[in-house]
This record gives sequence, C-alpha cells and structure tokens, in this order.
Amino acid sequence: MIVFVVLVSVLIVFFSIMVVSLKHPISSAVSLLIAFLLLAIFYLLYGAEFVAAVQVLIYAGGIMVLYLMGVMFTDSEWIKITRQTHLQAWLALFLVLVFFGYFGHKLYHSQYPAPAVKRTEISIAKKSETEKKLPYLQRETNPRSVSVALFKDYIYPFEIASVLLTVAVVGGVFLAKKEV
Amino acid sequence: MAIKFAVILGFLLFTLGFFGLLARRNMITILLSLELLFAAAGINFVAFSNLHQNFEGQIFTIFLIVVAAGEAAIGIGLLIALFKVKKSANVDSANSLRG
Repeated sequence: MIVFVVLVSVLIVFFSIMVVSLKHPISSAVSLLIAFLLLAIFYLLYGAEFVAAVQVLIYAGGIMVLYLMGVMFTDSEWIKITRQTHLQAWLALFLVLVFFGYFGHKLYHSQYPAPAVKRTEISIAKKSETEKKLPYLQRETNPRSVSVALFKDYIYPFEIASVLLTVAVVGGVFLAKKEV
Repeated sequence: MAIKFAVILGFLLFTLGFFGLLARRNMITILLSLELLFAAAGINFVAFSNLHQNFEGQIFTIFLIVVAAGEAAIGIGLLIALFKVKKSANVDSANSLRG
C-alpha cells in the first residue's frame, strides 16, 4: 500500500508542478484535472471512499468544467506574446523557498501519535425493517457512516452550506452579467 | 509513516499553489493555484481522519469542496467581469486603483 501512496503522491506533485509552470491555461486546467483524479485515488488509499467519489464528481466533473468555460470566455491571444509571470516571481520564489525550508523541516521532524483517548464514536441510526430483510445494507460502509454523521451531527452546517452555495451562484451570475 | 507522507504531500501542494498564486499573471491560473491550496487542506483532513479513526475530517473535506465550488463560481464571475472591463484576463491590467 505504501508503494501506491508514494507513486500517487509523486504523480500528484508532478502534475501540480505542471499546473503552475505550463504557459497556456488550458494545459494548466487539464493538469489540475489529472491531479484531482489522482487525488481521488489518494483519498481511496486513506479510506475515504465517499470523499473520493465526491472529489471525482464535484471537483473533476463540475468545478474543472467551470474553469474550462472560463478559459473559453477569455481570449488567449496575449498569452502567446507576453510572459506569464510577474516581475515579483523571483521574490515569490525566494519567499516560497524560505517557507518551504522552515515549515518542511518543522513538519518532517514532528511526531503524529494517535490519541490515547478513544474519541466518541458517531452514533449509527437504528436499522429499519427493510434493512433487516436486506443483509447487504447492514454492512458498515464508509459512505453510510459519513452520511449518517453528516445528517445527524452536522445537519446545521449542511443546511448553511446550501445557503452559501445559493449566495455564491447568485453572486457569480450577478458579477458576470453586470453591465459596466 | 503514512501520515507523514500525507503531511509532506499536502505541504508540497500548498507551497506550489502559493508560488502560483504569487507569480502568475493569468487570472485563470491564479484560481487554479488556489484550488491546489484547497487540495492541500483536503489531504490533511483526510489523512488525520484516517489517523484518528473518525469521520470528522472527511465531513470537513466535503464542506471544503462546497466552499471550493462557491469560490470557483465567484472567481469565474470576477474573471468575466475583469475581462469585460479590461479586455484581458491579465491581473496586471486591473490597476485602476494604483496611485
């Protein structure tokens, strides 16, 4: 398993370098798409099946299409004739390297022990009559556990997230539509 | 050992996204770099959810994806608004407030 983790991590880092270094935004967007699909595999390896599915459906399927539409709406002529980095890129590279060195050293030398106290288990809803008849529903799967936790313990954040998405969609349409 | 890989990977993605955010001129690439920062946070959430054997990290990752979707919608709206005014997706062209 650790071989897969290392392989997927190396590929994710490679495609992320492609995202920040390629010239054309379409190339960057497709590299990010591949990186997100690999990230879904990474989530699967860490036991988060539902998050992996959401990553493929929402991120790779929805958000990346939105970005590709954004590339379509803007011209790409100036990309061919001008350079793609700021004058401040060297300063940014220096700052990022300092950041990388300091925090990388800190992170590499920290310990991550599992907590001694067992956390409270998320309560699972009582099994209904249908589930008793159908034994495959009784298996404790990751999407089931996540959805039970999401709809029992985190129901208010879930509803607030829907309000946030509505506001974001209305704001995005307003910004793009406004006559200036 | 697996947790350390995830932390290092998340940190590498954060660094790359940070660099792209500071150094690139095209607004689309800046937004894509921002997505890399979100991905770094998601990796850490999922990895520590695996370490602590509970679901809070995975649920936070789902909310993170929700926030990223909202950010993408607003970002593309701003991009199109910028393109309407300046006829370019270059962020350096938005210098009306420069003294």
